Amino acid sequence: MAMIELAGKQVEVDEDGFIQDPEIWDKELAEALAPLEEVPTLTEDHWKVVNMIREYYLRTGVAPMIRKLCKDTGFTLKQIYELFPTGPAKGACKIAGLPKPTGCV
Amino acid sequence: MPKKVLSDGTEISQPNRAVDRLMKRLHVREVPDEEKPAMAVRWLDYYRKDRRSLTLAMEGCVKCGVCAEQCHAYLGTKDPNNIPAARADLMRRVYKRYFTVQGRLFGKLVGAVEMTMDVLEKWYSYYYQCSECRRCGHVCPFGIDTCEVTMAGREILWALGFVPELQGAASAMVFERGNQGGMTQAAIVDTHEFLTDEMEEERGFRIEFPVDKPNSDILYVPSSADYLLNAETLKGAAQFFEYVGANWTISSYMLEAGNFGLLTDQRSVQRELVRRLWWSVADLGIKKVVFGECGHGWRAWKMYTETLTDYAVAGPGYTYTKVPLVNIHQEVVALLKAGKLKLDPKNNRLAPVGTYVTLHDPCNYVRADQLGDVFRYVLYNSVPAVREMYPIKEKNFCCGGGSAILYDDPEMYNLRIKFFQKKADQVRASGANHICTPCSICKAQFYPMVKEHNLTTEDGKTIMPVNGLIDFLGAALVFKGHRQI
Repeated sequence: MAMIELAGKQVEVDEDGFIQDPEIWDKELAEALAPLEEVPTLTEDHWKVVNMIREYYLRTGVAPMIRKLCKDTGFTLKQIYELFPTGPAKGACKIAGLPKPTGCV
Repeated sequence: MPKKVLSDGTEISQPNRAVDRLMKRLHVREVPDEEKPAMAVRWLDYYRKDRRSLTLAMEGCVKCGVCAEQCHAYLGTKDPNNIPAARADLMRRVYKRYFTVQGRLFGKLVGAVEMTMDVLEKWYSYYYQCSECRRCGHVCPFGIDTCEVTMAGREILWALGFVPELQGAASAMVFERGNQGGMTQAAIVDTHEFLTDEMEEERGFRIEFPVDKPNSDILYVPSSADYLLNAETLKGAAQFFEYVGANWTISSYMLEAGNFGLLTDQRSVQRELVRRLWWSVADLGIKKVVFGECGHGWRAWKMYTETLTDYAVAGPGYTYTKVPLVNIHQEVVALLKAGKLKLDPKNNRLAPVGTYVTLHDPCNYVRADQLGDVFRYVLYNSVPAVREMYPIKEKNFCCGGGSAILYDDPEMYNLRIKFFQKKADQVRASGANHICTPCSICKAQFYPMVKEHNLTTEDGKTIMPVNGLIDFLGAALVFKGHRQI
């Protein structure tokens, strides 16, 4: 199990850099995770996506369907890929502090 | 993961290993390194006695080489160890050393090798580069199914503690939440509501998804990832069931057709899902189970359910009733042939006129069950035009992601791109501008790979869209208001 330093704290992450304990997530941590996913700074648009994923995760226990993410935030899939070059399932979920999505993804 | 360096200096790529915490969730205890080779030999002894097909593969090969040019992994990487016969030889040499007379007496002289950690590390690399597509088994003049070797190899590795993180995490979810994607009931219901709203916008009326509805006739088991990525497939199935007026339901206890147990650990993970299936059937009074678009899942359910129902899976208080297990494509074709479904291929929301669809045959559907014609019957009736790739049906090549080798660490991802090379050539030569593939693993491989290989439509800029088969069917159905039959 790897430990990395993010926002001045020692944080436990898995081999792909997803944080292991979703409870410890906060805004500073998200900002520290963003550069690892090719997002230099989190703009308002980024936060819109991250907050939606986070809110959905706390409510249901999983990441939202990509289609729903697009509709609720008003971005097209292409725009989401522009915001998060590593993709919604990997990049955006990691920044939002979710565990890595499993299954055929 | 950085490349693994063997004791002789060769470098091999391996998928990420599961960490301790994940291993505990899977109830797998890692065997200490110094005991691994001896344990591996004991497991090999168990599997050769348990599975005649493995013994056949171990004893039968004459190295004729027919399989080499049939394997997308070898064609893409040109790594000699990816030739199916050579890949199986990684196990065959060890088998020879311990279980044949000439191997025990003459060892190296007859090509036998000792079981060492290097051998196991090689297994872990190459048995997770094989996608279990069985195209080599299809052409083998001796009928050797190399997939059986890969399967046994992976199961031995799993028992020793070589667990890949991707398959491990999905399997752990099976024990904890009952499906590979880790979907919860809240998320299922929420997703359904969202899709119902979407269909209302498209169709003008609401199509509901019943969840855990008692006394249903049909249990629909959607494919893995339908709840995350493939919205259209789920909508297509709902429209189909609504159209035929079925009394159907989706079970949150048995949600996904996928069965990662088949791919790595048939002893516990696959059995857990079989148990869940029969519990749901008993609980909800199901008369028929219809499985969604999932290639390896269909093979797991069609071929293995019978033998994995060999002990009390039904649990206390339940009577175990056996019901037919069918595939949604077969259901659709049966109703199409009976003239019960009205389709308008010229008016398809997903494939407007000018769309040329090419069909990729998922390996497990066409080589474990000959569904090539079934797919084509549905597709030709649902879309305006089809342009076939070559070869097709049971001779089609694998997408390179089969058996969920969908790793995204840079090393393995590069290999995935190479594995897709043959498929990219096939799609390009077909002249199509839309890809159809009725399998979630294939879709998960196609989505990034069409970009990596720059498969574009005629304008040279737009990346080719990828859809499932039931997506097209759902969009082509001609509704006149609600239920039709």
